[in-house]
Amino acid sequence: MPKLTVLKEKYPPGDFGVWVIIYVELLTFGLFFVGYAFSRRENIEMFNTSQLMLNQTSGFINTFILITSSYFVAKGVQLMHTMTQESVEESNKKASVWLLLAMVCGIAFVLIKGAEFVHIFGEGITLSTNKFFMFYLLLTMFHFMHVVLGTIILFNIYQRTRLFGYTPDDTRGFESGASYWHMVDLLWIVLFPLVYIIR
Amino acid sequence: MTHRKKVLEYVWIVLVILTVFAYLLGYLKLINTSLVMILLVTTFIKGQLVADYFMGLKTVQTKYRLLPTGWLVIVLSLIAVAYYLPVATTY
Repeated sequence: MPKLTVLKEKYPPGDFGVWVIIYVELLTFGLFFVGYAFSRRENIEMFNTSQLMLNQTSGFINTFILITSSYFVAKGVQLMHTMTQESVEESNKKASVWLLLAMVCGIAFVLIKGAEFVHIFGEGITLSTNKFFMFYLLLTMFHFMHVVLGTIILFNIYQRTRLFGYTPDDTRGFESGASYWHMVDLLWIVLFPLVYIIR
Repeated sequence: MTHRKKVLEYVWIVLVILTVFAYLLGYLKLINTSLVMILLVTTFIKGQLVADYFMGLKTVQTKYRLLPTGWLVIVLSLIAVAYYLPVATTY
């Protein structure tokens, strides 16, 4: 039976620089995740009790929002990859709609997470309340800043698509922003069960 | 061809199903020691799907694909070790 050979791309989509950032971010968050898991062992009762104060439903909604926004961005990238010289305007226009939807998701995440922070701070909880909340606040606030930055990046790409700025020979900027956004999603995919669910 | 075109939709559906599964484990307070392992495995599947199909690493040289896969394996394995390793008690 003949073996099917699939030609693989030499490099990941987007600029080299954005992948350096992605790997550094993964490493940083990875250390935090493992730090959380091992710190939990020192006082399991306190971690479990503190975790009960979190709103799992808003964590779930935010996971759904990020996954969906990542899907929207991937649809935009798909359009960039199938774009021809004749379809530059149409592809940019369609991609801008996917990006707009992704940005709406980004803003929704920020609003929901912001409301969660307001609630937590309203309860008098700070970084020094206990180790669980130190990790929770550090991890989620750090991730929150990445969502804000990611949404700004998506807005920049969106503006360029509105000017039909991407062509079949130049989609790297789009791919770089998209890869960053997927990383933000990937981080939350691990953060959600670790901090909100596992007990 | 239609099947290939719809791959992003299928991935999104699987991600949503696994997320609902994780949420229900927590919300219905069903989470226990054996289900934590299943939860970590489903988290790995979700992360791998995002890396492969959303980030587009499935069609890229294996060494680049292995970086997020390795990250997921190491981080989730260490979380499992931290969870399952018996806690030493001092008297």
